[in-house]
Formats: sequence, C-alpha cells, structure tokens
Amino acid sequence: MTAQPATFNGGWTAFRAANGDDAAANTAATDLIHILDTVEVPIVVLRRDLMIAGFNKVAADVLGLSPSDIGRASRDISVLAGLPRLEEQCSQVIASGVQSRADLRDGDRWFVMGISPFREGDRQVTGAVLTFTNVTAFRASIDQVIYERECTKAILNTVADPVVVLSTDQRIQSGNRAFYTLFFELASLRTKLKAMLAGSRAFQPVEVDQVFPGEGQRTLILDARPLTLPGHSERRVLVTFQDITARKVAEAANDLRAIAERKDELRRSEAFLAEAQRLSSTGSFYWRVPTDEITWSEQLYRIFEFDQGVPVTLELIGSRTHSEDIPLLHDIIERARGAGTDFECEYRLQMPDESIKYLHMVAHGTRDEDGRLEYIGAVQDVTARRLSEQALGKAQSELAHVARATALSALTASIAHEVNQPLSGIITNASTCLRMLAADPPDIEGAREAVRRTIRDGNRASDVIARVRALFTKKEPAIEAVDLNEVTREVIALSLSDLQRNRVVLQAELARDLPAITGDRIQLQQVILNLLRNASDAMADVHDRPRQLLVRTEREDGDRVCVSVRDAGVGVDPRNLDKLLDAFYTTKTDGMGIGLSISRSIIERHHGRLWAEANDGPGATFSFSIPSGPAGVPDAAPR
Amino acid sequence: MTGKRSLVSIVDDDESVRESLPDLLRQFGFAAEAFSSAEAFLASDVVSETSCLLLDIAMPGMSGPDLQQELTQRRQTIPIVFITGLADGSARPHLLARGAVECLIKPFSEEVLLDAVRAALRRPYSGQVTAT
Repeated sequence: MTAQPATFNGGWTAFRAANGDDAAANTAATDLIHILDTVEVPIVVLRRDLMIAGFNKVAADVLGLSPSDIGRASRDISVLAGLPRLEEQCSQVIASGVQSRADLRDGDRWFVMGISPFREGDRQVTGAVLTFTNVTAFRASIDQVIYERECTKAILNTVADPVVVLSTDQRIQSGNRAFYTLFFELASLRTKLKAMLAGSRAFQPVEVDQVFPGEGQRTLILDARPLTLPGHSERRVLVTFQDITARKVAEAANDLRAIAERKDELRRSEAFLAEAQRLSSTGSFYWRVPTDEITWSEQLYRIFEFDQGVPVTLELIGSRTHSEDIPLLHDIIERARGAGTDFECEYRLQMPDESIKYLHMVAHGTRDEDGRLEYIGAVQDVTARRLSEQALGKAQSELAHVARATALSALTASIAHEVNQPLSGIITNASTCLRMLAADPPDIEGAREAVRRTIRDGNRASDVIARVRALFTKKEPAIEAVDLNEVTREVIALSLSDLQRNRVVLQAELARDLPAITGDRIQLQQVILNLLRNASDAMADVHDRPRQLLVRTEREDGDRVCVSVRDAGVGVDPRNLDKLLDAFYTTKTDGMGIGLSISRSIIERHHGRLWAEANDGPGATFSFSIPSGPAGVPDAAPR
Repeated sequence: MTGKRSLVSIVDDDESVRESLPDLLRQFGFAAEAFSSAEAFLASDVVSETSCLLLDIAMPGMSGPDLQQELTQRRQTIPIVFITGLADGSARPHLLARGAVECLIKPFSEEVLLDAVRAALRRPYSGQVTAT
C-alpha cells in the first residue's frame, strides 16, 4: 500500500492539512470521505475556533463552497451570513456536547441546519458538524395546507348558518364564527346524535324552536352527518344549523295574507247575502234543537225588529208572535223537535205598534255527525204580498159574487121559465075550476077536467125539477192520470187568499212518494175544495185558538192514496157523522150541505171512500182514499 | 054584452096554456081559440075576427114579437097581450113601445088576465102605434 495522498472532490484537504498528519489519512478515512461525498445532504465541519475545517462534495455544490474557503471563518461564508446566532449556537454545542438546530433560508430554499458536536475519536469535542436538510418542498406543502385551511375557515365563517364539528363524545372540535355567535345548547340532540354516531340510524333533520338571548325566538333546522377523516380512526360529526326563522315569518305572513284574502272574500259574500236577504225581505236562521241555540241573520233581526245581536230564544220569538198564532208556533216547535223533517208554515207577528207581519217560514232539518238535530231555515216577510193578495182576494170575491149572481140569474131564469109554464097552467086551471063550481048550475064535468089538468101540470112541474137535477149530475167525467199532490196544491193556491181572509192557518204535508191515480181532475179538485171550504167554515166561530187547517196526502197500504183535511173547528157530533154526508143535511145556517154528498158520490165513482172523524182535540178530519193506478177508473155518472 | 062574443085567440107552444086559458076565458064570457104556433094562427081563418091576441114570446119557429111585426105589416091591427114564462121583464118596455097592450108574466092571476084582455078590447083599432 503506497502512501499516496487521497484525491478529494470536496474540501477535505484543509481538514486533513489541519491534522498535519498525512498518516491519519489512511485508507479507512479516505473511504469514509468518499461515502460522505455521496450523501445528498451538505455537511460542513467547523473547528473549535469556528473556522471551516472541511465539507463534503454536496456542500460545495449546494452552498457554493470551494476548497479556498477552508480555514475561513464560518461567518464569512455568504450562505451562513443569515444566521447571526450561528457562532453562539456552535460554541454552545461544542461546549455542551448537545445537538442543536436552526432554520436557514437561502433565497427560495429552506434548510433545517443540524449542529452536532465533532469528536476526534473518543476524545473531547474539537468542533461542530453542520448538516443542511433541504425542507423547501415540505415547507411549500405546509404553506399550501395552511392556505387551504385559511380558505376553508374564511368560507365557513362567511356562511351565516352555524356549522360545528363534534367528537364522538360530543365535544366541540371546531365551529365557524356563526356557531360561536349563536350559542346552541346541544343537549336536546344528544340521543339522536349518539344513535347516528353508533351508525345505527341516519340522522333525520329536526326543526327546533329556541329563544336566544338578544335574538328572540328562532327556528332552526338541525342536520348532522358523520365525518370520516383519512388516516384517522376517530369519527366525527358535522352539525349544521339552518336558520329558517325568516322563511317561517314570511310563510306566516303569506298565510296571514291568504287568511285576510279569504276573510275579505267571505266578507264580500256575506255582504252579498245580506243584501240579497234585505232585497228579498228574507232572513235566515239556524236552530240547534238539543240546546235551542238559535242564530239569526241580520235581516231576520230587522224583520222581527229586534236589535242586532240580541240573544235569540224561543221565548223572544214567542214575544213577537201574534197571540192567535202562539199555539200554532208551539205546535210547530214540538213537531220539529220530534220529526226532524222539513217543515213549512205561515204565521203572523204582532209588532209593538200593533201592526201585523205575515211570515212564511221554510226549514230544512239535518243531523250533525253526532246525530244532533238542527234546522236551517229561511223566513220571508210576505206582509206586502199578503196584503195585496187580500185586496186582490176581496176584489176577486166581489167579482165572483157578481159572476155567481149573473150565472145564478141566468140559471134561475131558465129554471123559472120551465117551471112557470106548468105553474101557469095550474093557476089558470084552478081559477077555471073555481069558476065552474061557482056557476049555477055548477059545471062539475068542466071542473073535474080542470082539476085533472091541474094535477097533470103539477106533475109537469115536478118533472122539470127532476130534469134540472139531472142536468147537474149528468156530466161525463174526464179520465186521466191525476197527481193528487198537484191537485191539492192547485186547490190550496186557489183557496189561499180565501183562507187567509178567514184567518185560517194552512199547513200542508204532502207525501213525496205519492202514486198517481186515475180519475177526473176537476171533480177531485171540487172535492178537495169542498173539504177545505167546509173546514174553513167550521172554524168561522173559533176565536180562542188558531184556525189551523192541516191538509195531508199520504200513501196507504195496498197502494191507495189518502187525502185528509183536518180542522180545529166546532167539530162534529159522532152521532151525526153518517148523516153529515147525506144530501141536504147541514149544520150550517148558510149552506146547502149538498157539497159533502156530491163529494162522496164523486169519490165513490173513483172506487174510493170518503169519511169523517172527530179529532181527539177540537175539530174534525174529513178524508178520502182512492186506489192508485188504472184500477181507479171511475164509472160513468148515473144517468 | 050582447051579440057576438069577442074572440080572444091564444098562441103558445105550451100545451098547459093552450088547454087551460081558453076554458077560463070562456068562463069570462069570451070566445077563445088556441094555436100552438104563430104560423098556425096566421094560416087560420080567425085572424081578422080576433079582437085580442094572447101571444107567447118564446116559441120555436116564429116568435111572438115576429108575429107582432108580421101582423103590423099585414095591417092587421089586433091588440096584443104578451104572455111569457121568462121572469125577466126586460123585454116589456120594448114590446109595449111597439104597440102591445100588456105583457103578462106567467103564472098570472085571473084578475090580471081579465084586466089586460079588457084593456085590449077597449083599444080602438086605429090607436095602435105604427111599428118602425
């Protein structure tokens, strides 16, 4: 082995020279120096006096050292100039034998500089070893992370809604500014969050109303989702708070506006209804039967002339009702309570100024979901109509009287002519007879002849009467399908003003499912008209109770149709019931009584029957029933 | 009353009248003839002899007033007493204005009848009001 000086690429010459011992540079050392030169980390060795003792190849390249720098003071090296405390640190390391480090920036590059004590063999520290680790890329990535974190933070803090990250034990890990501004008590959510974090169930957003100091009541939607962080085994949870208070308020405002609009609409339609009620003089009411709770429309208050809003009771209604109609009112109320069916009636009010109002009431009965009976009804003030009808009725009745008188006069003339001929003969013959008997000598034969002619003429007169009677019963009935409800309604319409004038309160209960009968419409009308007139006449002297008249149609067993007319009049003696229907029997002072007899013969021709019954209370009921369908074709009248 | 009896003619479609009146008039002393229609009377030979005509108003065919008019046109001035079964007296003034002596409404009493017939017989033939 030759003792040739080793060739060094780095600055080890001075280091070696500093030793002053070529023999030290043995093969092992040379090998070590070669190895050091391959290390990519710059290594610089300082002597105890902080002069550069040597450096490896990379130090020459990276730090720009040259062999001439060996022996120079470290502070004179430009790259180390940025470290004012370098000498002090190195001195401490040499003195203490403890490593140290420092950050070094060189332009764009960053290094972490390690300062280690240098020992020659096991002996005392004779210098320091500086190593330069390039951390430029590492620092750049840290900067990037810091930058991104700042960006995220800025974004989160810009978001108005609070966001918070919790640990599994629900400690706050981080939150944005909004979260810290709006402190929220999470205790109420613990169970839910726990379930979600246990992975057993997804978190369902919850809406929470909470009062916040200085903020008032807010409505929040809380949502949460688990966060899994790469490289972290620990799970976290992100909780978001969406403040929907403003939206809620807006919705509420919208709702209020909609309600206000609906109210306006309702008010308009109410106004419309009120105006219609005013114009038609019709009020409406609502009667809850079990509680007798009654509600009136404004117009009904006006009709009754009570102050608007006065609580309506049956007593209040009774206080305005005409005294004669109070029993009727009670009757209607009792019936309404029981039946629950529709009803219709007319009754009168007596106003404080003694004027009378006529009311027409129609009510519809229904039951609510609990089966409680209630009526909704309309009440029309028909006073003006009734008064004009009365005036009209009076005029009609006068006209009818004239017409009746005229017709009667023509009929009388005709009958008189027929009867006067034989009467004339009778008188003349009787005169002749008297004269013949008074003659001297009496002309007995002539007188006998005159008497015979008298008898013959008497028979002729009698024949005339018989012919007249036949004339009135000799009409062919016109056969057609007849709806007795319709016939009844027509007759009621014809008689209404008459009945009204006679202070009769008429109530009609017409069956809905009435089958048609076959018969003579006009004749049946006459029968019903006759029954109504009789009923009305029977009540002429009634002053202590309403003159109530009930007309009812109903379907009887075996498809018969029954019409009954019930009055509250003087009634009939049960012993006279049969006689009532006989011709010429009458209880009336101004009637012929022939009506009922004719009525009965009409009904019998329709294969029906007509009968009378005394009521339990006052009055009587006259009824007839007729088989429905083609079976009811009446026979022709007897000739 | 001597000589020939005054003839009272009766025209009426009613048999009772035709049978009863002549007997009564004869009791009063008149001669009497009855006819069942105006046409039958006009066709008879007693028209010119009749001193008084008891005439029904309403008859089938020619009515009483029709006969009155016919006689006027024939210048037969027979005093006429109308007899009618119609109680309505409205036709009376019209008939009297056209020259009728009286208008009796059936049934009538013998006194009324006698008064009317006598009035008719008293009337001078020339005294009749000319028909229009």
